[in-house]
Amino acid sequence: MKNYIINLQAAWSEVFSRTSYIVGAAALALIVFVFAVLLPNLALLNEVVFGSSAPLATKVNLTLSLFGGISTNFSTLSAIYTILIAVLVGVNVAMIVYLVRKRSAMLGQKGLLAGASGVASGALGVGCAACGSFLLSTILASFGAGAALAILPLKGGEFGIASVALLGLTLGIVSNKIAEPLVCEPKENNYD
Amino acid sequence: MDEPSKTNTLSIPIAIVIAGALIAGAVYMGISSKAGSAENQQPQVAEQQTGNLDQMAAVTNEDHIRGNPNAPVTIVEYSDYECPFCKSFHPTMQRIVDEYGDKVAWVYRHFPLDSIHSKARAEAVATECAAELGGNDAFWQFTDRFFELTPSNNRTDIATVLPQIAREIGLNEQQFTTCLASGKYDDHIQANLDNGIATGGNGTPWSIVVTANGKKYPLSGAQSYATVKQLIDLALSEN
Repeated sequence: MKNYIINLQAAWSEVFSRTSYIVGAAALALIVFVFAVLLPNLALLNEVVFGSSAPLATKVNLTLSLFGGISTNFSTLSAIYTILIAVLVGVNVAMIVYLVRKRSAMLGQKGLLAGASGVASGALGVGCAACGSFLLSTILASFGAGAALAILPLKGGEFGIASVALLGLTLGIVSNKIAEPLVCEPKENNYD
Repeated sequence: MDEPSKTNTLSIPIAIVIAGALIAGAVYMGISSKAGSAENQQPQVAEQQTGNLDQMAAVTNEDHIRGNPNAPVTIVEYSDYECPFCKSFHPTMQRIVDEYGDKVAWVYRHFPLDSIHSKARAEAVATECAAELGGNDAFWQFTDRFFELTPSNNRTDIATVLPQIAREIGLNEQQFTTCLASGKYDDHIQANLDNGIATGGNGTPWSIVVTANGKKYPLSGAQSYATVKQLIDLALSEN
């Protein structure tokens, strides 16, 4: 845990001392947040923006009003983890881009798996904002496991929490990669 | 390391956003293909993914309508009695009907999410029994009181609460109890649920705003009063 924090601090300082990475992470976090809040009503937005003869101001106002859904259509828990997921996705991707650009390094299967799992479980958890959740209920029903939700104490909110944890884990893995010294390591079999 | 050039200053944020979009796209495609692969086994799921607002069943005498049945704008809400978001959306809709008067009709249909709210279907039956014994007004009185009294998330003590509300609104308790056990409204509630799914509903509350010329707008979730108001104003302007 101590190493995790030390590496995270070092990586954070290295990456986010550059304005461009702050801007990129913030932009991505904002996009993820906007998408998460508007996701349940993309069909409505499509109808209003492209299928309605309403004035532009009406279309803009209706779109903006949908952001009020963060207080009416999300529980406190889901609002918190939705915001956390958005921020963590922004920070994670910024760090991955930094790592790939500056060190020409690949994250490796472990990091990619953790990152993909974090984002995937976040998508499931975020979908749980309204009762029944589109993605989660659809997928579980596909596997005949719709009733499994009833067993979960948070009725699917667990996916959002798991997502935050997995994104935290990814952050640790990427931070380790960024913070570790650049050295050439000999392959063991070179000396066979 | 040196600070990147101006080109890099722009390219890095763009690279971050594109990388995020690629990851999100990969996740979305992965989820879509997983869900899609089971379509043949679960027709209901396939319907969820291909829902069409035009599948909405026409409003008839079997529906429960609050407001002017001939209003220029109709809001058809598919709702679950144990859903906390339906509970919080209910006062929003009450306020809309109060403020818009004859311009709006609110139609209430059942969408019990059995997998997470095992009590919701029995509660839907209770409201139908209330309607049978006391008419349309009794349906709405029962529904209003139910959302006031109950905590949602399947925590309602239905053995106590349902007869209590029936008594409060002046229904014959014995007839009410007999009706609850009769099963006569099972098909009606299932038809409501099937229709909600057919229209694209996959969570509650799920609402469809219909203009006088038949155009339909989907509204998912317990959206704020401001959103519902703006959508109704838009629907009214298109008549």
